[in-house]
Amino acid sequence: MRSNRKARKISDVLLFLFLFAVGIIMLYPFLWMISVSLERTANVSIPFPPRLIPEEFSWFNYKLVFENGALLTAYGNSLVIALFSVLLSVSSALLGGYAFSRGSFKGKRLLFFAVLATMMIPFEARLIPMFTMFNELDMINTKYPLIFPSVINAMGIVLAKQYFDNLPEGLRESAKIDGAGEFKIFFHIFAPLTGPITATLGILSFQDSWNSFLWPLVVINDQHLKTVPLFLSSFSTENGGRLAGVTMATAGMSILPILLVFLFFQKYIIRSIALSGLKGE
Amino acid sequence: MSKTVTAVLEQQASRKRQKSSRREPQLAWYVFLMPTLLGILLFMVYPLIESLRLSFVKGASEQFVGFGNYANVLQSETFWYAMYNTLYMTIFQLIIAIPAGFVIACLINNLVRGGGFLKVLFYIPNVTSMVAAATVFLAILHPDGPLNYVVQLLGFEKIVWLSQPYSAKWGVIILAAWHWLGFVIIINLANLQAISNDYYEAASIDGASRFQQWWYITVPNMVGSLTILFIIGWIGGLQRFTDAYMLGGLQGSPARSLHTVVGFVFERGFGGHEYGLASAATYILFLFILLLTYFNTLVTKMKI
Repeated sequence: MRSNRKARKISDVLLFLFLFAVGIIMLYPFLWMISVSLERTANVSIPFPPRLIPEEFSWFNYKLVFENGALLTAYGNSLVIALFSVLLSVSSALLGGYAFSRGSFKGKRLLFFAVLATMMIPFEARLIPMFTMFNELDMINTKYPLIFPSVINAMGIVLAKQYFDNLPEGLRESAKIDGAGEFKIFFHIFAPLTGPITATLGILSFQDSWNSFLWPLVVINDQHLKTVPLFLSSFSTENGGRLAGVTMATAGMSILPILLVFLFFQKYIIRSIALSGLKGE
Repeated sequence: MSKTVTAVLEQQASRKRQKSSRREPQLAWYVFLMPTLLGILLFMVYPLIESLRLSFVKGASEQFVGFGNYANVLQSETFWYAMYNTLYMTIFQLIIAIPAGFVIACLINNLVRGGGFLKVLFYIPNVTSMVAAATVFLAILHPDGPLNYVVQLLGFEKIVWLSQPYSAKWGVIILAAWHWLGFVIIINLANLQAISNDYYEAASIDGASRFQQWWYITVPNMVGSLTILFIIGWIGGLQRFTDAYMLGGLQGSPARSLHTVVGFVFERGFGGHEYGLASAATYILFLFILLLTYFNTLVTKMKI
């Protein structure tokens, strides 16, 4: 029995080591990216044969990126857009989720179905009119088209509804007996309890906003308004294989914020993805 | 006496409160839903209707052409080639990522410790933007990049990945499968953990080996969720744009081999200002996706 348990333990360690090795291979592109970005001579030619430890270590490429400043401008744009998008999409999801969880009103089922239906409509089906609409409003080359549409957050509403469903009904009843209105009940009693779900929704919508590409590509062509993915995309396609060092440094800097957010809040993110089973790209 | 009076007053007041609380909140709930409903009207309903209208008109004068745009799209060789590319890249992305993700998830699920750490490790590519991932892959696929180093180590000739239609498509497939793998693993792990432990206990009492348990219990229990992943993958794959655009540009170079359906919409709509034609193409894409979504709900309901 004991030797059996010992064998199990050893096989467990071996399995872990094997999976860890596979994981490192998975991360190899990023590890290699970091190493190239720290290589002094990588702008002349891509280091060959590939190596993970730079031959001539230097921060030179990062210095170039910061001195150029275009990436910092893009960072600013992306951050402002992400901040307002998160604010808008999280508050609309919390309000909507609460109404569908606790409300009783005409058309509740129908409206909930309408919200769910929005998840089945691909963005591409709306792409052209969305452009012409914002064009007529004179909002092309502004941040507004990248912020306003985040108000629709169907997955967020579903997740928020589930969260409110699991809070005790007694909370509402006692407040109602004291004569509090629905808004007062929501803002004074429920809102303070929404920490975990707000974090989850906020991270998911930050990720969506920070990584989105097709829609920004359509509505932004002003150099100074480019978001991080737009800037990175034009930078890397313009330079192709040349300037690998600077390109990799830029790519690395563009990943950093989202990677930090993920590593800090990975539990929330992984749980909500497993829960939803769905994720927009 | 006074006691009964206050009791009656109290009763009346509470009835009034109930009444008002029953009527007043109705409106309140709509206020709660206001942002979402306004958003749906402005950014969903209106664009869908407008897109349908545009798909029947042509040119700046918006002349009505009936199904002319649809006919043009369906007769366009460029469109069908883009559709072929899209389907080709998607099917291989799924055939690689789903089984690989399933096996890795099963192995992680077997671990007593360290599973949480590995989940995070494998999920990292999926949190990064496709643009950043593709930028790194542009260098990895470079003639002097690491992939060719491996190819040469294995004794093959150097491949100029992005210069031949065939290998360029495989460049996108490798990138997309790699980027998506973490998602497949997370979804599989969640579903694996939902399989009741009783099955495995009963099987091991009956003397089934671990491989037998996997083959006779795990696999049949996972067929349903794997099918759903497959359909989700198809839906996402049909909408692919960024990966192919990053490796092949707007034209889908080389020789349009990386041109996708969304790329077609983008090029004709925003490059050529052919809003009618592009809208018709989006509606054709939309119908494909609705059909797949319908299959998805069927499978979800069957709960195999």
